[in-house]
Amino acid sequence: MLLIALIVLGVLVLGLTAMIIIDMVKNHKKGQKYHLKEVMTAFLLILPAVVLSFFFVILPIFYSLGYAFTDFNLLKPNDINFVGFDNFKTLFLEFNQHGEFFLSIRNTAIFVVLVVPIQIIMALLLALFCNNKRRGTTIFKVCFFAPVAISLSVTAFLWLIILSPNPNGIMNSILHNFGIPAQDFLGNKNTVLIWMVIISAWQGCGYQMLIFLSALGNIRKDLYEAAAIDGANVFQKFFTITVPGLKPTMLYILITVFIGACRVLIQPMLLTGYQDRSVTISYYMYQQGFTYRHVGYSCAVALLMTIIIGTITLVQRKLLGEKKR
Amino acid sequence: MKKLVLPALMAALLLTGCKAIGGGSADYSDNSKLKIRFHVDAKSAEGMAYKKLVDGFNKEYASQGMRVTASFVARSAGDSNYEKQLNTDKLEGTLPDIITFDAPNCAAYAEAEYLYDISSYLSAEEKAKFITLNSYQGKTYGIPIQESSAGFYYNKALFAQAGINVSGITVDNPWTYDQFKAACAKLKALSGITAVDMRMDATKDETATYLLYPFIYASGGSFVDETGKIATGYFNSNGSKRGFQFLKDLVDLQYTNYGIGATDFFTGKVGMYLSSGWTIPDLDNKYPTTFPNRDAWGLLPYPKDVIAASANGSWSYAVTDNLRKDKSAVVTLLKYLTNANGSKTVTDATGMIPANKEVNTQYGTNSPEDVLYQQLQKTGKQRPETVGYPQFSVAFRGVIDGLRDGNVSTLVDNKAAALQNELNKL
Repeated sequence: MLLIALIVLGVLVLGLTAMIIIDMVKNHKKGQKYHLKEVMTAFLLILPAVVLSFFFVILPIFYSLGYAFTDFNLLKPNDINFVGFDNFKTLFLEFNQHGEFFLSIRNTAIFVVLVVPIQIIMALLLALFCNNKRRGTTIFKVCFFAPVAISLSVTAFLWLIILSPNPNGIMNSILHNFGIPAQDFLGNKNTVLIWMVIISAWQGCGYQMLIFLSALGNIRKDLYEAAAIDGANVFQKFFTITVPGLKPTMLYILITVFIGACRVLIQPMLLTGYQDRSVTISYYMYQQGFTYRHVGYSCAVALLMTIIIGTITLVQRKLLGEKKR
Repeated sequence: MKKLVLPALMAALLLTGCKAIGGGSADYSDNSKLKIRFHVDAKSAEGMAYKKLVDGFNKEYASQGMRVTASFVARSAGDSNYEKQLNTDKLEGTLPDIITFDAPNCAAYAEAEYLYDISSYLSAEEKAKFITLNSYQGKTYGIPIQESSAGFYYNKALFAQAGINVSGITVDNPWTYDQFKAACAKLKALSGITAVDMRMDATKDETATYLLYPFIYASGGSFVDETGKIATGYFNSNGSKRGFQFLKDLVDLQYTNYGIGATDFFTGKVGMYLSSGWTIPDLDNKYPTTFPNRDAWGLLPYPKDVIAASANGSWSYAVTDNLRKDKSAVVTLLKYLTNANGSKTVTDATGMIPANKEVNTQYGTNSPEDVLYQQLQKTGKQRPETVGYPQFSVAFRGVIDGLRDGNVSTLVDNKAAALQNELNKL
């Protein structure tokens, strides 16, 4: 383990050194003076971040990539064999047979399609509400942001109490007052994902609200004044000034919410446990690696998931980025 | 820069993908220094009991120069965390001499060569002292520390109100599925009472599997073949489907449901409650309004269909397959831990049933503890011996969860196929 880490670290250090030398040669050819001291200072300043990233990000990624092509079982660390693309073949087979991997992709896709727009719209509406300078806005901001500061485990537990299928559960008691019989909100395959979306959007939108608020503050006020003089109504101002002004922020929020939604794990784990109706890709990956002990297979899922998320994110950036230009 | 990143990535891929490099191994040549690891919080009552046993051993065997060092891994950290530590120890050649483990993990740990076959170290007489032993493919790998069993706790006042007489039901003469359903029907007829809490909602962890698997055996079903790697035709056999159908009938007839509150039985809203021995202290001490004394509640055995079957299995000790060649000192420690004193020390702390039959349990005839003890010995059936036990448990819980709205046959067939897919990966 240590040897591998040292080899990869050594290669990176050599790479950085080579970068400096190449840069020096280029500058020399152009006849420009090269400030080695300044460059070295810059490198030294970023060194702690590079070292930490190396051990906690880069090295695990390399390991994960490597293990995806092995039969690594958590209980058999001395018996790891290279199996080529076998893990990926099994994955595609399970997908074709509409097995748990297929269900995890289906559920994740439904979750992402619903939660991304809902969470962003909720965050935007809350930001617009809080952006008006009226009394008590700070209290609203704190209330809207509070769920972000609370652990997902705690909020999941609270929602379990609220959505208890017991007739005396909070939500069922409310429904009872309207003559509606007790519902099994999380046990019903038609409603469980909707509740996961509601809980996730409620939990996460406060954070995006703050980012939107910051972006709203950067939109020039005189634009709104000019529009008002021209007779623009609230909607016209919103779509012609606010939305274009928020576009770069929107792209950032869209990508981060999308990636976060693709990785949803805690909500299904705590709300329902590992069940067909709520399993997501991350949960499937976790289950394979830590419960079933198929670390190699789990890494293959992780690799595939990274490729899918990466590709969609690039497409998003391309599409929205081009419009921006 | 791009030219440099690619070779680095390829080098890492090749190196990480093939073989991990181990660290230095522990010194196993000295037979006087032993190590044991407990999968329990050191500060819990159970952890303190183990510590007491280890201290006792060190004192008793000090004259022979033997000393054991104990380490603890909290159970709250989960099996995977414990296994990651075992994994690292295995990799570095530093496995402790004895570990504790949950009984269903026996097959997986044995196949992965974490456990040492202790069959030859135990005489027939010694083996007979224990209610069960942890075995895999005919070899003994572990000795239980304590045992558990489960049954139906019932509210005597509600039973009297519903006119249900259970005086003749014993472990030797268990009730049938039909008698069970008849009792449920009478309880359901009482206003505002749910007949039985079958713990159908306890599917997020092992609880549902532990409490409900005996119904499948009782109906003549099974889960996997003798190799532990074939589920098709076993998990979804007619007997298994019959067992699952019985559970679904209880849901469909509204005798039980998935929304019963955790304290509903204890506050008199539910007639029966399926649970293990750990509920006895709660009934004795925590709910004096509903259950002021033991006259207010009782414990009934599992109902019988084709055969009688009940839950068992708890935590065990195992000698590890580490690099120590001479296991004599380790076996001495194992026998010390599992003798009557060792078993009693731990079960006094946990309230569970001693695994060693030599412990004088002094349970009153037909007392709840006696029902559990009798059941263990007469109808206890182990959970399936399979390397893919976690996969089995997840599939089983999937069926239990799906019974709320699924067709039993289709559901069990689908889960059997999913389980087989997972077992094929092993």
